[in-house]
Amino acid sequence: MATADGTGRPPKVRFEQVSKRFGQGADAVQALEPLSLDIAQGEFTCLLGPSGCGKSTLLNILAGFEQPTTGRVLMDDQPVRGPDPRRGVVFQQGALFTWMNVHDNVAFGPLATGKPAAEASRIAARYLEMVGLTAFARRYPYELSGGMQQRVGIARALANDPEILLMDEPFAALDAQTRELLQEEIRRIWQDTRKTVLWITHSIDEALFLATHVVVMSARPGRIKAGFRPGFAQSADPAVVASPEFARMKAQIFGLLREEALAAQQQESQVNER
Amino acid sequence: MSNALHTAPNTAPRKGRSRWINLASFGVLLLLWFLITAPLAGNNPLVAPLFLPSPMSVWTTFLQLMQNGYQGKTLGHHVGISLMRFGLAFALTVLVAVPLGLWMGMNETVKAVLDPPIEISRPMPKLALLPLLIIWFGIGEVAKIVIIVLALFPILSISAMQAVRGVGRRKVQAAMALGASRTMIFRRVIFPASLPGIFTSIRVSIGIGVTMLVGAEMIATNAGIAYMAMSASDFLLTNVVIVGALIMAVLGYALDLLARALENKVVHWGGREG
Repeated sequence: MATADGTGRPPKVRFEQVSKRFGQGADAVQALEPLSLDIAQGEFTCLLGPSGCGKSTLLNILAGFEQPTTGRVLMDDQPVRGPDPRRGVVFQQGALFTWMNVHDNVAFGPLATGKPAAEASRIAARYLEMVGLTAFARRYPYELSGGMQQRVGIARALANDPEILLMDEPFAALDAQTRELLQEEIRRIWQDTRKTVLWITHSIDEALFLATHVVVMSARPGRIKAGFRPGFAQSADPAVVASPEFARMKAQIFGLLREEALAAQQQESQVNER
Repeated sequence: MSNALHTAPNTAPRKGRSRWINLASFGVLLLLWFLITAPLAGNNPLVAPLFLPSPMSVWTTFLQLMQNGYQGKTLGHHVGISLMRFGLAFALTVLVAVPLGLWMGMNETVKAVLDPPIEISRPMPKLALLPLLIIWFGIGEVAKIVIIVLALFPILSISAMQAVRGVGRRKVQAAMALGASRTMIFRRVIFPASLPGIFTSIRVSIGIGVTMLVGAEMIATNAGIAYMAMSASDFLLTNVVIVGALIMAVLGYALDLLARALENKVVHWGGREG
């Protein structure tokens, strides 16, 4: 299901018949069915789907952490061959360098990509300011709350000025209030920088609030089930979530996801019976 | 890890209280020792001085040893030579076994080559090799140092390897996505992330190393604190034996404190996740 953005430009990212199978022989698990997807420059794409539907696998393949079993992924028409600083990754949790202070975490990328120490330090300061953590530059990750840690992770990924941000359920472990505040922050950062984003989430609200393109995936093996193009992300009005269109789209996606969640549950109980 | 308490608030007063209980427990033991060895109302003490001299007489013996030494050598000489043996063997093992273990953790081939000899030798009680080592190296310093190295080597190398393998995959992926080279990933991510595990094994090794030292010094030697205790036992100088045992205990404790202080300084984040 290629999604042309109507401008005729080549997509920033193109998944071409990408599939993924883990393991061998009888134990093999088909995580992804051959799947095609285009992501246009500047687009905010959210992948929604039940647990185990291969959303993270898709992201890991684009990040270069995993190789697809079949098919290929192109970025700017170049095949993805491995991790690359042009693609920044934000993880759910547990990916900060706990032995470095916040500043050194954020300066890591610029240093790794060959910037001199003084410049890396300036860059780190700039992104820490962007996420509101200037006062915590010398603190260590274990001294911060979960929400602050995720902001460090976001600043760290942004510090390389990547062309694409890959975010794997970055807010899943946070409480609802922190989560909402961070969603607004991400929206502001996206509206300012217009970076291409691929975002994985379980939350329909989050997807509708942030994304320009919501992709709903099926239960395992993952396929694309439907695509939506909500316009709420462009809005400056936080009350947009209370609008009737928002509610209508949410109900529609909810229905789709419910079918898939039930299918996923059935799969699991079958596995248990075996 | 000693940091488990940090996560719970409210432990400060409880910690103070346990310290008092620790002291009281220690005091009761000392009092008990005093009571069973004191001549009660002109009668003989409950335990004869040959088997257990009183605390005061042990203290007097300690002072005499400090002044006159033992068998023509000062107490400092005996302690010094024991520490020298331990320190040399320990430093040697850490400097060789830890890098080797790190290398085994990084490289499958190196692991495949080195794992079998280390694993086979691990359960063997190393003191059993001492007679053989005496045939090989004589009764000089070499046999004693080699026996300690043999005992500590498998512990330190295997735990360094396991520490590397336990480094969170996401941390390594994050570093790769930030553009870090293999060298930088090792130096700034894998090595520091392995340090808590390495320090734990270093502390375990101190206890085992001191035990091996005592074993080695009891056989065929003419200096060292365990030698002093062993030879005093031949002359039924129970006081000297006890002074020797207590000095060994204090040394072991002091070395552990030193290692713990170093650990708290170097791996201040402990095992705490960000």
